[in-house]
Amino acid sequence: MLAEAPRVAVKPGPDDGSLVAMTLGGNSEAFATLVERYDRAVYHLAYRTLHDVEEARDATQEAFFKAYRSLRTFKPGSKFSTWIFAIVYHACCDRLNRRKRYSNEEMPERADPSPGPEREAIAMDEARRLRAAIESLPEKYRTVITLYHLQGKQYEEIAEVLGLPMGTVKTHLFRAKEQLRKLLGAAEVN
Amino acid sequence: MNFDDDALDRALFALELEEPPADLRASILTATVYRPAPMFSFYEVLALGAIAAVLLLLVALVVMGGASLFVHSLQAIATVISRTLFDLSTLTWIAAGGATAMWLSIFTVFQPAMASGRKVDVKQHR
Repeated sequence: MLAEAPRVAVKPGPDDGSLVAMTLGGNSEAFATLVERYDRAVYHLAYRTLHDVEEARDATQEAFFKAYRSLRTFKPGSKFSTWIFAIVYHACCDRLNRRKRYSNEEMPERADPSPGPEREAIAMDEARRLRAAIESLPEKYRTVITLYHLQGKQYEEIAEVLGLPMGTVKTHLFRAKEQLRKLLGAAEVN
Repeated sequence: MNFDDDALDRALFALELEEPPADLRASILTATVYRPAPMFSFYEVLALGAIAAVLLLLVALVVMGGASLFVHSLQAIATVISRTLFDLSTLTWIAAGGATAMWLSIFTVFQPAMASGRKVDVKQHR
């Protein structure tokens, strides 16, 4: 049986919409609860996208700061997780574009051909191998896989976060899984 | 291990999330809900800016010498203030006023303390 529930399943207590309303009403502890619920998932997405601990940390902080400042624009009835993921994803894209502008390095648009992660993966257990395989995916596939992992099989929300049509998300996801299977298979053979 | 679609999904969903830096949550909260309130509100900044701009304009007028009437008025005000402050009769009156205020305070300063002392006594008796 597949685990289809989102990884950011909400802990018992007021729902996210109520917490947003309470924050807007002046209860700052309510926003602290939202941070407690989502900081790890938001950081996870930022880290997977940026591949850098410090930058992921800054992007996470920036995302929550932006969310806090523009909380009034949050549409009641929509999902807070989707909203905050979209904010952090855009923050990550800005950082990636800046990186592109200031360095001559090519962005990881295709799987890293160097044998490093794969060779390392041989000695690792399944989870580690899977992590290494995800790390070596191109950025667009990596993000889709990460959101799929975080939000469960909720394609619509993944599409909303990335600002892509649902068909494109499904295609990216299909290709990402295909590449993952290949990478994991290759590691197995080696 | 052969990863078919279900096995891959299972493996993906079983993955633990990345462990964030230890002080991440604290730094987010410091930057958002526990951020100290700004010293001045928007309107206060606006008012202070307007006052600063007027002062700057006045200084510019004085420096450029194009406002002789303003300079004369300032000089007249300064003269009156200095004369008043250094006039012997004014200083005498100020001294007399100060002494009277101090003398009156001797009778009034200790009264609230005495009253509060009585209240404490009542509480203790109860």
